[in-house]
Amino acid sequence: MKYKNIKYTFLSLLAVVALVSCSDDDDNTPIVVTETCDDGIMNGDETGVDCGGSCTPCEEAMAPDFTGTYAQVDFMGRPGINTVLSADGTIKDAHNVSIPSEMAATFQADFEARLEAYHDVYANILGADPAAVNYENNILGLDAPTLTGYLAADVLEVAPNLPTTYFNPGTDADDDGRILVPDGDEVALTGRTPQDDVIDVSLILLFGGMEGDRFSGQDTDGDGVADLPRLTSDGVGLTASVGTTFPYLGAPE
Amino acid sequence: MGLGALALVGVLLVAADHIDAPGAMGTSADIADFYAFEPTEGSDNTVFAVDLQSNVLPDLAYGTFDENVLLEINIDTDNDLVEDLVIQAIPRDGKMYFFGPVAPSETGLNGAIMVDAPLGSVDISAETAIVETTANGVSLFAGPRQDAFFFDFFQFNEVIGGTAPLGFKPAGDPNSTDDDDETAVDTFDGSNTMSIVVELPNSLLGSTTGQNALGLEVYKTWVTTNVKQ
Repeated sequence: MKYKNIKYTFLSLLAVVALVSCSDDDDNTPIVVTETCDDGIMNGDETGVDCGGSCTPCEEAMAPDFTGTYAQVDFMGRPGINTVLSADGTIKDAHNVSIPSEMAATFQADFEARLEAYHDVYANILGADPAAVNYENNILGLDAPTLTGYLAADVLEVAPNLPTTYFNPGTDADDDGRILVPDGDEVALTGRTPQDDVIDVSLILLFGGMEGDRFSGQDTDGDGVADLPRLTSDGVGLTASVGTTFPYLGAPE
Repeated sequence: MGLGALALVGVLLVAADHIDAPGAMGTSADIADFYAFEPTEGSDNTVFAVDLQSNVLPDLAYGTFDENVLLEINIDTDNDLVEDLVIQAIPRDGKMYFFGPVAPSETGLNGAIMVDAPLGSVDISAETAIVETTANGVSLFAGPRQDAFFFDFFQFNEVIGGTAPLGFKPAGDPNSTDDDDETAVDTFDGSNTMSIVVELPNSLLGSTTGQNALGLEVYKTWVTTNVKQ
């Protein structure tokens, strides 16, 4: 017999003995009231209600309870990733209870399909064949599988020793006429401030193509009416008040 | 995917993470947003700001931190997307208690409060911010704040629903208050959220070997809410 089993056998024997003695204890001996550490009154040598003296020190007894196991119910890394790239509630819920090291493998294919579905929306509106209107490599030169794999591993990067910007295109240091294409002088993906226009950055990365302006409301035939949808900016900037000192976020409105 | 299916999924979609999924949507544990930044150029501190809950739509849980909800800021310092350090925050009786940064007792979906690594506590603010600064230079805040997120979310739903041939609306005059339906509107203007903000010296986080897509040295961070089992 294993030790564990011996132990439990012994305990159950004790329990039987205790039960038997209880059932025998039916005479009318007066009940002796003793002060306890959980009777809700200060008695005995307690210095507070049910604490101090021979009970738990009062400071410790008053300390908040931090015990227990806590299980993940919501998750966020970069802004908008789960919202924009998960196609339905099932995927969104799964994303919220997953861990970053497994996210690329789990969600990349779904995210890529979603990215393509967004393009189909405008193919249909434009009267084009959805199969012909597809994501094009973006300003970072990333193809759809690479971009969606990168975004699926959903973490917010923050640089300890660089200025923070979600994406700052820098200047056209290599003089190729495209300031948005990384050419060595840009600082990007170093965190996120409340001022960063993360939605516009995301839209540019998803719909902007190599120049960042692929779908930006162009009037291609010069008739004064936009022929392509405006998908690279949502047209809004910061409206909340943001301070320069801790805690930075403005008082409630 | 056709237009109809996209229109269906677009019915209730709010970003950045506001009300993002059926399971957490509108609950006291719903993460609305997450910021991580250097407070001023050249500073040796990092600020983490997490927004929980939102009153951007009616009938959402808003206004009280839940004592059963543990907020965890996860920090990966060696590029493997597994947390090496956590900073935790949980309310008790009007105060927000912070723990860490410390290696968690376990990584992944389940965890415990790191009671042996207290960072400090701060009274939960009402309208006026109450700030606690600890001896080791850490600043702590918890309370309602303006939601700084900005997005024309209603137009986004039109866009993905296939009912906005022109896409997003152009920017309007930022000083104009008329709602002419022709220019973009920040859906989150005027809404509030329950914020938890921690600013701490980078020395408490240590060095990192993580790199971003441009090869710059970064901490890789994410936040989770966790409910007591």
